[in-house]
Amino acid sequence: MLKSKVDEVLQDVNKLPAISSVVSKVLEKLQKPDVNIADLAQEISKDPAITANVIKLSNSAYYRASKPIRTVQEALMTLGIKTVKEIVLLTAAKGILSQDLNSYQLEAAQLWTSSLLVAELSSKIVQHKKLKIDKDLAFTSGLLCSVGKIVLAQFFSPVMMQIKTDLKDNQEPFSVLEKKYFGYTHMEVSENLLKRWNFPQELTDVVANYLTPENSKSNPLLTSVVHIASILIVVSGIGIDIGGESVPISPFALNQTGVTEADIETYFVHIPDLQAGLADLLNV
Amino acid sequence: MSIKSKIINVGIADIKVGKDTDVLRTTLGSCIGIVLYDPEQKVGAISHIMLAKDPTGKDASKFPHKYGETALPILIEMMKQQGSNIGQYSCRMFGGASMFKGINSQFLQNIGEQNIAIVKKFMEEKKIPVIVEDVAGNEGRTISLYCDDGRVLLKKAGMEKYLYKVR
Repeated sequence: MLKSKVDEVLQDVNKLPAISSVVSKVLEKLQKPDVNIADLAQEISKDPAITANVIKLSNSAYYRASKPIRTVQEALMTLGIKTVKEIVLLTAAKGILSQDLNSYQLEAAQLWTSSLLVAELSSKIVQHKKLKIDKDLAFTSGLLCSVGKIVLAQFFSPVMMQIKTDLKDNQEPFSVLEKKYFGYTHMEVSENLLKRWNFPQELTDVVANYLTPENSKSNPLLTSVVHIASILIVVSGIGIDIGGESVPISPFALNQTGVTEADIETYFVHIPDLQAGLADLLNV
Repeated sequence: MSIKSKIINVGIADIKVGKDTDVLRTTLGSCIGIVLYDPEQKVGAISHIMLAKDPTGKDASKFPHKYGETALPILIEMMKQQGSNIGQYSCRMFGGASMFKGINSQFLQNIGEQNIAIVKKFMEEKKIPVIVEDVAGNEGRTISLYCDDGRVLLKKAGMEKYLYKVR
């Protein structure tokens, strides 16, 4: 059991994936109702890489700005605060979610592509089923639900042989093996990371339960949306990891969201089109 | 892998051909990767299909590579354009995972199975031998076809091995 080692890492800020202080400050400011655009623009502009990405993505086909955007302030005025927040988060997430997770058998490009697709499909489901959820919140929750794997990946080597043996006749979700060997599931680690990054509770609850939406306490509807999106992306093979297709879609999630058999079929068939539409974001 | 080799990623609902030092690679869940390889000419192709048939009847004309019934004839045609005809190559198939037994999505339960069935039926009709298959189960698979000798590197559930059978 590697639990104590995982604990050590979880307590050591220097060993954890970090988001820049600019991103934290921006997110903090955005949680206040009376956020000031000039103030926000100034904060974002402190980080040149994020600034460049905000301007680049604001002009991309994905966000379809009505006129060319040259500054962060213009981006905020034209696309709105929420969209710029999404772009800032995307940039931060890309830094964290694009690394090879060899032990999970996931390459950086696959991890990033699948994270984006889960995000996008979650947001589409919310819109398609007209659910009373902010679609940007659905996007962000979907984007971050795999982040815990990044921490657990580094502990695989000592138990790799045993995990492989267990996998041969494994009938349970891979997260059961994560718990068995590391003392944590990647969902628990994601929850821990998001709390550390001061994300709102409605978001930490989703990443903590997206594979078991019936356990969600504060946001079962959103958790169910991200659940369905994540399973469909796995089934399509994009970002499919060592766990394979080991988690079935929860009947609870279907019930919560009203997603039907026909909807599932439609979402699945359109995954490649969804991916094509994300081309600009894939290459942030 | 030689220095000159070029890795060509075959996306979801995509078909790619390669030859000599090319390496074709794709990752599969419930989808099927159909590998054709001609050992004499060192020409290979992978088709990555999502579903056996187009459930809407409207999508296949726009995206024929998504569905077995429209993708497989194109795959054969693409091999032909490389100078390789039926009789010169055999077929290997991978993917088609699913373990969603007993849940209430008939669709998800059956994707893998139906994908496997349509490929087998097509190959039988065209008299293309299926010489290797690694299908079903609940594992994701990544396959790489090395066009220099036709070997396939199969990665699944923590294991990786080369499959050398090409005829």
